[in-house]
Amino acid sequence: MGTSRSGKARAEWVGSARVFSGRPDPTWAVPAHVATRLERLWESLEPWTGEVPASPALGYRGCALRDAKGREWVAYAGVVMLHVSGRHEARQDNGRAFEKLLLASAPARMIPASIIDGLDAETSTP
Amino acid sequence: MALRITIDIFSGRPNPVIDLTGREARDAMERLRPIRKLERGEAGLPPTGTLGYRGMVIEQLDTPANNLPKQFRLANGDLFGARLAHRATDEAFEDFVCGSTGPIRRLDLGRNFPGLLQKEIDRYRRLRLKLPWPWPRWPVKYSCDCAPLYEPAWWNDGGQRQSNNNCYNYATNYRSDTFAQPGQAAGAMYTALTCASVKPAAVADALIDSPTANNRCPKAGHLVALVIWPGGDFHWYRKGRNGYWTHKPGGTQATNLDNSGAAIPDPRNADRGPYTSFCTFMVVMHGHIKIR
Repeated sequence: MGTSRSGKARAEWVGSARVFSGRPDPTWAVPAHVATRLERLWESLEPWTGEVPASPALGYRGCALRDAKGREWVAYAGVVMLHVSGRHEARQDNGRAFEKLLLASAPARMIPASIIDGLDAETSTP
Repeated sequence: MALRITIDIFSGRPNPVIDLTGREARDAMERLRPIRKLERGEAGLPPTGTLGYRGMVIEQLDTPANNLPKQFRLANGDLFGARLAHRATDEAFEDFVCGSTGPIRRLDLGRNFPGLLQKEIDRYRRLRLKLPWPWPRWPVKYSCDCAPLYEPAWWNDGGQRQSNNNCYNYATNYRSDTFAQPGQAAGAMYTALTCASVKPAAVADALIDSPTANNRCPKAGHLVALVIWPGGDFHWYRKGRNGYWTHKPGGTQATNLDNSGAAIPDPRNADRGPYTSFCTFMVVMHGHIKIR
């Protein structure tokens, strides 16, 4: 059974989902136009000063976008964290828009459907 | 006549020793002469070594006298040794030794030591009166003597060791730095994310399927458990020496808690998130398995 860990690490923008335990987490090359949208989205987000949401031990734990300069955005449960050169900045991701856009850039069936469905159901609840 | 008195009190430092000779030694032996046998119910000696004062060890350096053995112990006026459990003629012999005119004054033990020793002798008397002691419950009998220790700090280095070793590495207690996959080392990797596919892959790595283990530790090796996120992933737990289970979700930290933050006495009943299918218990024989 193939995994998606190798072969895509040299892309300019790399997305990953933190989801598995036994298998390597899925990674994929994020198209430049999606990365640009994510960067713009990040710029529009309000600062977040509350607690960063804790993820469960098993199952979906968020997704991440990394660029060639070493910047990494980690999105989970309505908060996006930017890690760059040892500094961290948190912003509020209303409607989990950043998280959903990043996950949507993954190739079809790479992310378990239950995660996408769960995310959609959670954010569509009034 | 020569007599050596060792004050049995220290743990790290050498015990103080007083040598008596001539008239002093003869006088001491008269004080230590057994006057009567101890009765049943009178205080004996603690069955194990205790910290602090534990009596005075008396050695007769010449020919033994007064029907006393060559070496015996004095504790709060009572004599103990080979065929010896008697009260001494001078029940206050220890007070004499550490008193204001006693031979302890010859030793350079500090001005406060005689007073401290006197207090220790009194404490030991009270301790002996508490006998019989309950049997000690130490050392703790572990539930799974052969199981690996829970050492999260070793796995959770926040670097290469943590990120390149997954639940399979952790459960088998084998660091490969390859994010090991069941069956990969044997050329028999799983082909589907089902119990029916992952279990034989692990067997190919020399894990032993033990479906009837029922959460009981094996006599040799340690117990692991395989669970499946149907169609998504597999996950492993390992049973620790204390009988509880721990796991390492992917490249994250090893933990002893389930998804609800509870300890894991049995992985079959733990909150496992999407890993809803319990597959089987297996045994890892240390040194037998090969994973990659």
